[in-house]
Amino acid sequence: MESYLIAISIGILIYMLMALGLSLHYGFTGLVNFGHVGFFAIGSYTSALLALQGVPIPLAMVGATLLTALAAWPLGIVALRLGSDYLAIVTLGFSESVRMMLQSEEWLTRGMHGLPGIPRMYEGWIPAAQIDLAIMLTLLAVNGAVFWLVTRVVKSPFGRVIEAVRDNEVAVRALGKDPARFKTRSLMLGAGLAGLAGAFQAHYLTFLSPEQFVPLITFYIWIAIFVGGANRLLGVALGTVIMVGFLEGSRFVRDFVGGISEVQMASVRIWVIGMALILIVLYRPQGILGTKAGKST
Amino acid sequence: MELIPILNAVINGTVLGTLLSLPILAITMVFGISRFPNAATGDYMTLGAYTAVATQAWIGSSLVLAVVSASVVTALIAVFFYLWVFRALAKRSNVARLIASLGVAFVVRTTITFFAGQDQYNLEMGRIMRAWNWHGIRILPMDVYILLTAIGALGIAFVILHATPLGRRMRAVADNPDLAAASGIRSRRVMLYLWLLSGFFCGLGGVLLAIKAVVVPELGFELLMPMFAAVILGGIGNPIGAVVGSLIFGISQEIATLYVGPSYKIVIAFLVLLVLLLFRPQGLFGRPIMAR
Repeated sequence: MESYLIAISIGILIYMLMALGLSLHYGFTGLVNFGHVGFFAIGSYTSALLALQGVPIPLAMVGATLLTALAAWPLGIVALRLGSDYLAIVTLGFSESVRMMLQSEEWLTRGMHGLPGIPRMYEGWIPAAQIDLAIMLTLLAVNGAVFWLVTRVVKSPFGRVIEAVRDNEVAVRALGKDPARFKTRSLMLGAGLAGLAGAFQAHYLTFLSPEQFVPLITFYIWIAIFVGGANRLLGVALGTVIMVGFLEGSRFVRDFVGGISEVQMASVRIWVIGMALILIVLYRPQGILGTKAGKST
Repeated sequence: MELIPILNAVINGTVLGTLLSLPILAITMVFGISRFPNAATGDYMTLGAYTAVATQAWIGSSLVLAVVSASVVTALIAVFFYLWVFRALAKRSNVARLIASLGVAFVVRTTITFFAGQDQYNLEMGRIMRAWNWHGIRILPMDVYILLTAIGALGIAFVILHATPLGRRMRAVADNPDLAAASGIRSRRVMLYLWLLSGFFCGLGGVLLAIKAVVVPELGFELLMPMFAAVILGGIGNPIGAVVGSLIFGISQEIATLYVGPSYKIVIAFLVLLVLLLFRPQGLFGRPIMAR
């Protein structure tokens, strides 16, 4: 039971890192990023491949974070020229392209076979039985640090500009600021967080395959930030807990309700996600805890 | 490479491009009139394909009946989601409608997989007809039927858009919704017909595709990226552009597959989209659009 709770907490904390990144994108800057899982994938695979080449894990994770942030830069160039719905299409295409590359570039990623034997965090440093707990505590600390960092960023002059970009781009331009540069930085920062989350995923699971990076993951994160209110960090954290709680909890539903196969249960789970997207946009666009967020939705 | 495989790829690509121009036309019309990229388009196609499979399983093995019921059922579902979701979001931002359309996409697809599972299905074609073979250039009779059906539907679409009062109203709303409203055009009724047509074309496109390929839950969603790319290639809201964009996409994809393998379809579509958006966002022959 204890190890199960630790496993769920790790899942929540990894998703929370991603959600904080997306909150920066959508909640604070108004960037409609439908390809967050692409950054997650780049972070995972980069850290895993670096570590498999013998790079120490902490260094590999830092490298993965930086590379993911860099990968967001070209998207930023596009983002600065496009309206929000175009950005949504482009980012969705980006994450699907990343997934297709992971599938077909077998010399690098072993394609659909997946990447096994990724070095585990803390392996050899502490007793094997306590590794999960240590990973969880590390994630907790990292989330705390990121929380603090994002709060600082949002409250800084930079944060005020990105919120202004979200609410009224023309006004920002009139004040002599270039919205494009701020969008790009916000995109890179949030992508870096997703990359870091990916690195944790890689060194926790020790196995990666392209199927872990389907667009559905992106929309799990969207639900998480929607439930709590996209521009309230505590709400984002709470939303992530609720979302993962729902995903995990739905596994047990099958024990109570007979006659539903695993495949059907998976359908029900995603059906609920889709329904939640519709209902939240229709009836509660600011999120369940959120404050009214300008024109964002 | 020899000429014959390329010619065959062109023929295949023409059939594919023509049938995909139906859902692509649906996307461009919704984009032009309701002003958002409808992410549920792909799954409406999937719905059409599965409706056809269900019709054959429960009612009768006639392919024509399957095609008709697929189009009609999908049209009704599209209208249902308009009345429930998109009508209420008419005054909200396009992002709200886009996110809601993704929700619709998930709901439609998982409702299908709940009942049909993840298995593959095939449509019954009746008597298998052999391909006509002319010095190695192969043409399937079924492809000719698909092509004729799609061209017929496109013809009807263009007649509706350009020769009926309804089409004139649609184009008016697309051009300038406020001016259209001021001229006494009831935009809700226009929207209703828009979604009816859009659903019909998605369902028809889906079932025609299902004749050529196996029916799987990701049938339509996987085409979403390439279809968006084709829409932007042809210029948003431009019906003729949609058809041309679709043909270019279909033919170039079939030819490209000869050289780089099929797994790079989405990547290529994505790169085309990026280049287009950066250098020619108004499409190949569109006029510059004001609000991007």
